[in-house]
Amino acid sequence: MMAALVQVEDISKTYAGVRALDSVSFEVRAGEWIAIMGPSGSGKTTLINILGGLDKPTSGRAMVDGVNVGTLGERELTRYRAEKVGFVFQHFYLVPYLSALENVMLAQYFHSVADEAEAAEALTRVGLGDRLDHLPSELSGGEQQRVALARALINHPKLILADEPTGNLDEANELIVLELLRELHRSGHTILLVTHSPEIGRMADRRIELAHGRLMHIVANVN
Amino acid sequence: MFWRILWRLLYASRARLALAVLAVASGAAVCTALLNLDLDATDKLTREFRVLGANIVVSAPQNGDAAPTMDAVNIERIQQLHLQEVAGVAPYLYLSAEAQAGENDAPVIVAGTWLDEVARMNSWWKVDGNWVRDRDNRNDCMIGEAAAAKLGLVPGKIVKIRYGGREASLTVSGIATAGSSEDSQIFIGLPLAQELGVQKSQVSLIQISANGSAPEIEDVIHRLSIALPGLEIQPLHQLAQAEGRLLERIRGLLFGTVLLILVLTSLGVLAAMAGLALERRRDVGLMKALGGSVRRIMRLFLAEATAIGFAGGIFGFIVGMALSGWIGERVFSVSTTPRLIVLPATLALMVLVSLAGALPLRLLGRVRPSDILRGE
Repeated sequence: MMAALVQVEDISKTYAGVRALDSVSFEVRAGEWIAIMGPSGSGKTTLINILGGLDKPTSGRAMVDGVNVGTLGERELTRYRAEKVGFVFQHFYLVPYLSALENVMLAQYFHSVADEAEAAEALTRVGLGDRLDHLPSELSGGEQQRVALARALINHPKLILADEPTGNLDEANELIVLELLRELHRSGHTILLVTHSPEIGRMADRRIELAHGRLMHIVANVN
Repeated sequence: MFWRILWRLLYASRARLALAVLAVASGAAVCTALLNLDLDATDKLTREFRVLGANIVVSAPQNGDAAPTMDAVNIERIQQLHLQEVAGVAPYLYLSAEAQAGENDAPVIVAGTWLDEVARMNSWWKVDGNWVRDRDNRNDCMIGEAAAAKLGLVPGKIVKIRYGGREASLTVSGIATAGSSEDSQIFIGLPLAQELGVQKSQVSLIQISANGSAPEIEDVIHRLSIALPGLEIQPLHQLAQAEGRLLERIRGLLFGTVLLILVLTSLGVLAAMAGLALERRRDVGLMKALGGSVRRIMRLFLAEATAIGFAGGIFGFIVGMALSGWIGERVFSVSTTPRLIVLPATLALMVLVSLAGALPLRLLGRVRPSDILRGE
């Protein structure tokens, strides 16, 4: 049995009197692929944001790789985001005036030192070796999401947080991105992926289902 | 990577940044022009003020009722000092004489002097006719406007001067209007005045025109006092103070305008940057989510503001120097020399102004990535 990489203990989050998360607890082992599912407003993104150090819980503990994310100061949170997690967003969120290569190098720059060759290799791995110097506006949605994946992986994070990464993609690009996620999983990466899609949910090792901020079920998939 | 991102940032926002650079360049041009004028033209204006006549008077101390005089050798002593600040020296011997022109007769003060020096040191006098520019001229004279009116003289007419039974007949070369006591005097050559007054090698006073600031003039007076013991050396305070006040006002006006321009430039940059800050909220939120520290992200934006200050400053400096020359010629009637010291001053001011104008970008440091990435 592998040690838990993520421990969520009785976490709640309230925004202006509204409970976005209500006493949620679960664990994620290193190397696991977890699908977080539920209807809109069920607290999926809030949970991802807390684990990614973008938001703080109102109560409870969110431990990632032995670090209580909720208690970190601003400077420590910055280091945590640079070193421990890699984000993939539904809307890609690439810097529009930087090329594909520079978008990946940006994450390296904030982590430590930018390495152009390593960034180019990461993009080649996701099939964009010939699109290094293209601006995001010159790439398709699927290509932009692959740049975002390369960026998320470049600093070798402990945890990959993907918030509906295929939500804005057509079927062909969705398959490419899912295949890349599968490869990451096979190579031992820990992935927490928010999705509405039952098909994608079934690809994960386990499904965590939320509703109205509460944890409804944790379902293990038989793949 | 820092410079790579900065270059991309500048290139991506070039249209909006061009506006900011234009605002900075406009401010820099005016600041450069005014600072250069302050450094260069006020110095030249000080020299120009010297056309307003003498500002130091050397005289013999009062001795009884007789009008005091001194030996003309003192003029040579002054000249031998080779004082850099001294722009002109004119000796005067005053005689209380009688003048006659046709049927008109009146008592006048006759000033025997170096007529060429008087012309040079008082070039601002309004002259009807011509100056007498020959120092030893014994046939012509200049006459003050009031004295000419009293005697009914016009240029070309003859005036007779009598003193102690001696007489000289002179042609009026020019009628001078100085707006002071000189308007009631007749100016003749010094040797002729000394002959009429039987005061060979004697002068009543020596007027000196010296360049420089108040402390420099004080220094000239001090050195003259050492070289000319027993003589009284006085500054013409009224004129010196008026010059000082005028220069102070010009300088105050220049600095006030520079300050106003800096504020306006800052507001111009602020307007351009406010739009940019809105555009960049998402990028900053994303950079923070990727682990970018506020300090690192802000350094990019501050470097951008510095680049705007530099670009605008250099462009404005070039335009400003041309403007300085134009203002110098048109407003102050002096030619200005570009002072390179103005360049670092302008650049420093423009960078500061740009950084102040980049305040909206600094506020981006407060952006919460979760708000931005949630789409708020």
